[in-house]
Amino acid sequence: MKIVLTYAVLLALLVGAVALALLVGHGSLADPTLRSTLLGLRATRVGAALLAGAALATGGAVVQGVFRDPLVSPSILGTTAGASLGGQLAMLALVAGSPLANLAVSAEMVLPLGCLLGAGLSLAIVLTFCRERTGTLTLILTGFILSSLFLALSSFITSLAQDSWDMSRAVVSFTLGGVGGVSTRQLFAALPLVGIGIVACWLWSDTLDLLLSGEDEASSLGVEVGRARRWAVTWVAVLAAAAIAVGGNVGFVGLIVPHTLRPLVGVRHRRLIPACALLGGAFLVACDVIARVFPSRSELPLGVITGIIGAPVFLILLARSQRGVSHG
Amino acid sequence: MADRACIEARGLTVQRGQHVLLDQVSLALSGSQVVALLGPNGAGKSTLLKSMAGLLPFSGELRLDGREASQLGRAERARLVAYVPQHSALDAALPVRDVVAHGRFAHRDVWGRPDRRDDSAIERAMELTDTRRLAERSFNRLSYGERRLVLLARALATEARVLLLDEPTAALDVTHALALLHLLRDLASRGALVLVALHQLNEAAQASDRALLLSGGRLVAAGPAAEVISAEPVRRVYGVEIVPAAHFGFRMPAGKGTAP
Repeated sequence: MKIVLTYAVLLALLVGAVALALLVGHGSLADPTLRSTLLGLRATRVGAALLAGAALATGGAVVQGVFRDPLVSPSILGTTAGASLGGQLAMLALVAGSPLANLAVSAEMVLPLGCLLGAGLSLAIVLTFCRERTGTLTLILTGFILSSLFLALSSFITSLAQDSWDMSRAVVSFTLGGVGGVSTRQLFAALPLVGIGIVACWLWSDTLDLLLSGEDEASSLGVEVGRARRWAVTWVAVLAAAAIAVGGNVGFVGLIVPHTLRPLVGVRHRRLIPACALLGGAFLVACDVIARVFPSRSELPLGVITGIIGAPVFLILLARSQRGVSHG
Repeated sequence: MADRACIEARGLTVQRGQHVLLDQVSLALSGSQVVALLGPNGAGKSTLLKSMAGLLPFSGELRLDGREASQLGRAERARLVAYVPQHSALDAALPVRDVVAHGRFAHRDVWGRPDRRDDSAIERAMELTDTRRLAERSFNRLSYGERRLVLLARALATEARVLLLDEPTAALDVTHALALLHLLRDLASRGALVLVALHQLNEAAQASDRALLLSGGRLVAAGPAAEVISAEPVRRVYGVEIVPAAHFGFRMPAGKGTAP
């Protein structure tokens, strides 16, 4: 009964956040000539925030299970930075004058692909360096170093892109994270990736639960551990890539959301993953509302808001973990 | 079926780099017995158990229930052999019943749906280990002794005929240790082969039918427990004398097999 109530509350939060996001913002819905345009624009933003939030939160729950560490998330492990770098490289590859620009491929398709390659590469590096008995510190440090490396490479790309003002602006806005410039075509390219990614992770819930016992025990109970880890990491890469492709580099969602939910729905992934998808979506939609209504000269980047909320939460969790609070 | 060896090893060798952890171990063990695996620290007890559970690469031949181990898939192997490590890595807030249900993983279909047989195996495992009373509690909030019982229940839920246990009584108080050994005897009487690594020779003498004595990765003695845990092998491997009559020992009151 408690679990049904929790899902109902999460669903209500999501619906509330979506309604708020559609109603609030610059421009008045009272004007009939503007109404449909405004609603259309806002709906695309809301869709993008919802998809990115759901994907990142689910990805967070899965990597925390695979690494048996509640302090990791796609952003902490450098996955989002990798996806972001991949996305930038894809943008650069399409810039006029590059050999790829002549190919008849649309940016909507190339951007997620670049993100996917970047996310996959960064997760593969983490998996190679951090085996079973790797401590939290090594995981976080590996993620930090990867993020730094990808950030440095991103800056390099940004400087390369400065020849074209439009391009450099697009690269910077993509790096900071935001769902402002998302097109419906981008949204529809990301939708199946997020949907399939979440369902795939959910179908592997039991295996993820068993991995909480560590490689040896899971293996002795019948789990093909190597295959399970590769499979989980592939889907996390898909989710992170889709999220970054529509939301830019948004951090900490995958850390905060699963943490908030475990005391409410438990640590079993079969319950945790759908709850993460709901709350992750609601959280990022709400963050996007703040980004839009916050009084500033230009719109606040989404990644800035999730960072301001997420970083202190992460520090609190880290402090708690030092005092021996275990997974869940 | 009953006389076929549950575990048969020939020339089982485990190496880590240049270091030989297990050296040409050969043995054949059938069901319905508790076999104590003895030896000083670093003798290779855990290595032997892990290699049998398929967690360490080895050379040599290993047959489980008559089948070549290297030909078995993960799930098939898990249905034949259950393994309880000395230290579990599990520290999650999972309800105890879910932890025990993990023992059914290798029996599930592709969709992972539990069926009636899964439920009855879980219930039986919890009943045998007296953990039903803990079913709704979080695993990470249990005491060490309770955790050991739950991990044993998880192993029993696999319904594997071979049980491999690594130091199950280590760090248990006398009541829980006795209850656990009593349970192992009970499982053996139901047809299981229980291969259990033990540190305490008196526990082994009390609870096991046969014993294997390892030293420096080699099997130096194997046979009925009373023969292996006797003056000569114990002096040779451990360098200590057996005192024939203990000043005092412990046992459960008559008719009582489980810890309070």
